[in-house]
Amino acid sequence: MGEPERLEFARERHVLFLEAMASELPGNYAPQEVNHLTLAYFAVAGLSLLRELDRVNKDQIAKWILSFQVHPEMDNEFDNGHFYGFCGSRTTQFPSTSVKDPCYSVSHLASTYSALAILKIIGYDVANIDSKALLSSMKKLQQPDGSFMPTHIGAETDLRFVYCAAAICSMLKDWTGMDKEKAKQYILNCQSYDGGFGLVPGSESHGGGTFCAVAALCLMGFIQVDLASNLQESTSIDICLLLEWCVQRQEEDGGFQGRRNKLSDTCYAFWIGGVLKIIGAYHFIDHGALRGFLLSCQSPYGGFTKLLYDQYPDIYHSYYGLAALSLLEEDGLEPLCVELGILSAAL
Amino acid sequence: MHGRPRRPDKPEDAAAAEAKAAKLRDLQTQVLRNHHSHTYSKEALGLSFKLLELNPEAYTAWNYRKLAFQHNLGELSELEAIKSSIDDELRVVELALRQNPKSYGAWYHRKWLLNQKLAPVDFKREFGLLDKLLKVDARNFHGWNYRRFLAKFMGVPEEEELKYTMDKISDNFSNYSAWHNRSILLSNLLTQQKKGFESKQKIFSEEFELVTQALFTDPSDQSGWFYHLWLLAQTSSPENPQLIALWPSNGAKLSLSSVREANDKQNTPFSFSSICCYSLKEGILPIVLFFNEPVKGLTPSSVSLNSDLVVGKDIQWRPLSVTNSGHSNCWVTYLEVSNLEYCSSQQFSVEISIPNTDDIVSRSGSIYNCPVNFTFTFEPNNIDSITKDTDLIHDPISWDCSEPLPSHVKPSCIHFDQLKITNALIQEESKWHLERLSDELDLFRELPDDNSKFAKLTLARLLLACAAIKSRGSSLIERRGYCEEALGLFNDLICLDPSHKRYYEDERSLVLMDQLTCNMESFMKYCSVQVLPNLAPLNHVQLCRLSLTRIGFVERLLWVQMLDLSHNNLRSIEGLEALQHLICLNVSNNQISSFTALKPLTEMLSLKVLDLSFNKIGAHPINTTRYVCPSPFSHKVEACEAFEECQKKHINVEEFWDAILFFKHVNLVQLGFEGNAIANKENFRTLVVTLNPSIKWLDGACVH
Repeated sequence: MGEPERLEFARERHVLFLEAMASELPGNYAPQEVNHLTLAYFAVAGLSLLRELDRVNKDQIAKWILSFQVHPEMDNEFDNGHFYGFCGSRTTQFPSTSVKDPCYSVSHLASTYSALAILKIIGYDVANIDSKALLSSMKKLQQPDGSFMPTHIGAETDLRFVYCAAAICSMLKDWTGMDKEKAKQYILNCQSYDGGFGLVPGSESHGGGTFCAVAALCLMGFIQVDLASNLQESTSIDICLLLEWCVQRQEEDGGFQGRRNKLSDTCYAFWIGGVLKIIGAYHFIDHGALRGFLLSCQSPYGGFTKLLYDQYPDIYHSYYGLAALSLLEEDGLEPLCVELGILSAAL
Repeated sequence: MHGRPRRPDKPEDAAAAEAKAAKLRDLQTQVLRNHHSHTYSKEALGLSFKLLELNPEAYTAWNYRKLAFQHNLGELSELEAIKSSIDDELRVVELALRQNPKSYGAWYHRKWLLNQKLAPVDFKREFGLLDKLLKVDARNFHGWNYRRFLAKFMGVPEEEELKYTMDKISDNFSNYSAWHNRSILLSNLLTQQKKGFESKQKIFSEEFELVTQALFTDPSDQSGWFYHLWLLAQTSSPENPQLIALWPSNGAKLSLSSVREANDKQNTPFSFSSICCYSLKEGILPIVLFFNEPVKGLTPSSVSLNSDLVVGKDIQWRPLSVTNSGHSNCWVTYLEVSNLEYCSSQQFSVEISIPNTDDIVSRSGSIYNCPVNFTFTFEPNNIDSITKDTDLIHDPISWDCSEPLPSHVKPSCIHFDQLKITNALIQEESKWHLERLSDELDLFRELPDDNSKFAKLTLARLLLACAAIKSRGSSLIERRGYCEEALGLFNDLICLDPSHKRYYEDERSLVLMDQLTCNMESFMKYCSVQVLPNLAPLNHVQLCRLSLTRIGFVERLLWVQMLDLSHNNLRSIEGLEALQHLICLNVSNNQISSFTALKPLTEMLSLKVLDLSFNKIGAHPINTTRYVCPSPFSHKVEACEAFEECQKKHINVEEFWDAILFFKHVNLVQLGFEGNAIANKENFRTLVVTLNPSIKWLDGACVH
């Protein structure tokens, strides 16, 4: 890991990189068109951590975001199995004369999360959103095992969408959108014998899955403050094993791997660092080494790369690099509300 | 996570990328047009095929294909035609996976297709596809998930799948995904007692051999170490929960004789089995049961309690734990002894027995199967002679006036082996565990690469597992030896792997506590009698300047009344809640950073003297808005009164909520808190005095 004295946080370059990304995405992102809102979230959230939100037009963004919301035709018509959330992009938006039409705008849980997160970050009062249809239709996406489908037409169900649902309820301050007990049961079923969580029950522990599990439990109020000081027993998850699994993901290069025996990857500094933060155990890891790793992943073009010595940055790892540095309380970065993925000041 | 962009191309390919993006846009527009107009012709389907081949992330196109498939199916009747239509879908998925083997949409499409159950599935093709994929990326978790799905879907016996993991591991030892699947499959097979998997001991012995081989081939590879860790966890703990300690211990005689003279008349100023019990003054007698693992289900019917005292009243057992999950190592019940008429010399006896019971279960669901039975007596004399705590503790307690243990106190007074469990089954089981672990120990001591952190950590864990089994027998000297060696390893690890320093420090603290307390000879050096005016002698334990970061083995401290843990690095005091007879606690000069970390103390009914000086309390504010559950305003209804009381005295409730919750639940006579950030804050003293009206000394000065 390079000479530490040369490593500096290149704030200005990150600002320029994200500002560019916020105005126009390079062609390589075309396959990600369906996740347009999520990409926008990375750019806006990144700028907010850098305290540079003034570089974007907030009103314009709010208008743009709100244009993706799907509304029921009639006020009380949200019990028809359709999900009234936010579409991920223009191509998934198709207002039809009949809601029975299977092509009718397909909104997505991840896009809905991204939309609300952006709105909160830019200071839009989400209380203005018609959340009744959103929440009651979202509840229909919850499966008997407690997991969530991301769209009403069906797709894979896993912890990612349980997290999205919990974050959505939390941001809208209304928990009628999900059955918390069922969701908790599903999450508990995903904890593996080694302490981490897989995305679905029985699968290998994974940094992203573990974050979704712990952050969702935290948002739902099942995790207590400063859990790691009360190690022996938590509400329901095995905290000792979880803690061990998490701290062992820090590699010799200082970064975090997402699963056992994989390379360190920028984004897991946030996913796993975030879990440690939530359970009050962030002090268990080597902050200096982690910072060194993250700063080494800074790209000369601004932004962060996925792995050490990768050539080019991407918007996803750039945001999570900044988020991870915010957890480390790097100068010039806003504090982050880990479990929601938005800056604390936006709460 | 969701929508993770792939790595961008090189800049010189920018033109190509631009062209590709334009092509994508074009295809996308056409597919969407067909989607919206419900056009499901062959040409239309072909376009979506092309789009997905280029961009598997286009989930609208997957949905379009599902609709088209269902629509066209209605027009097909021949099996061959249906098969060919299915085949088209399978091919799209395969090509999409070639573009992105981690496409959630593509994998889902395939599962959806199989779940339609329209035609027999060609499993050879499915497993062939998986083989190819896992060859490219042996860790692709989508692939492994699909494999589990397929195996379940077609009812492949788990034995077969286990063989497959073996093949994968033989290809590459470092494939942790294969090791992972192996542990899941083995657990299932053992639980179901499938043929060939009846004996856990036989299976685990084989697994140990297998993984050890892998480890010796390449000690620097992590995967095998993790699997070894899993095996060790399965091997080192007893199958069923066991009661390992209790207080009062079997045969103990308790009394409340708080007047010194009364005590001097007795010729035994100090003894562990004849103890002066201050909680009797409060009219309660705590009985503590301590298990080797968290259990639940202690009820009046699963634990029988007989006493000449208890008249037809139900005894409620309560888990002593800072959370409310229902499981706990430590259970307590409080006998009420206040509302009875006593004559001074009357003795009461209490008999407790736990039979074999299905009610008491561990978290993994194993039941309690070691029946125990014990009795103790107590003499509630002099109960009325002292009424107030402030009278009980006349002068501030200082922490350096202890006397060495009187020479006539024999080690046999402490009933370490309070229960004398001689269950043949456990003995038999332990024997296998110990043999297995000793073999492993011998092997790992020979491992040449002695600077591998995993080798050291595994060796340390093996040693501790051996030590734990030794406590069940009488070989305490061996146990000390194991601890000694493990301590050395943790010290090495702290230097070798500084990133995980704090974790190793915690582990080292536990070993150290084990070593210091596991036999009488070493433990006695830390035990003494504290003689205070107006009080009967207190059992005093001093564990200072040991660099402890956390507490362990509290089951050996249940009899302690005065505990000095000062000058350590404690960040947590979890576990101390088991010390129901503790009156004085010194945790000064440690690293405790919040009142929430002191929650165990709120479970101690007898605690009167607490020294928190020189910790970090108040140095790091806790952001209350971040936590839904413990936020005082959303949750703790019981504390409302205390908040109101503080508000009346103009104390900032939002700032001090954790302090308020803490002081509301303790009842102290003496408190030291200088040297904490919170000590300098306005109103903090007022808060303490308001919530603890009986307080007499604050930081050494008299309050009144």
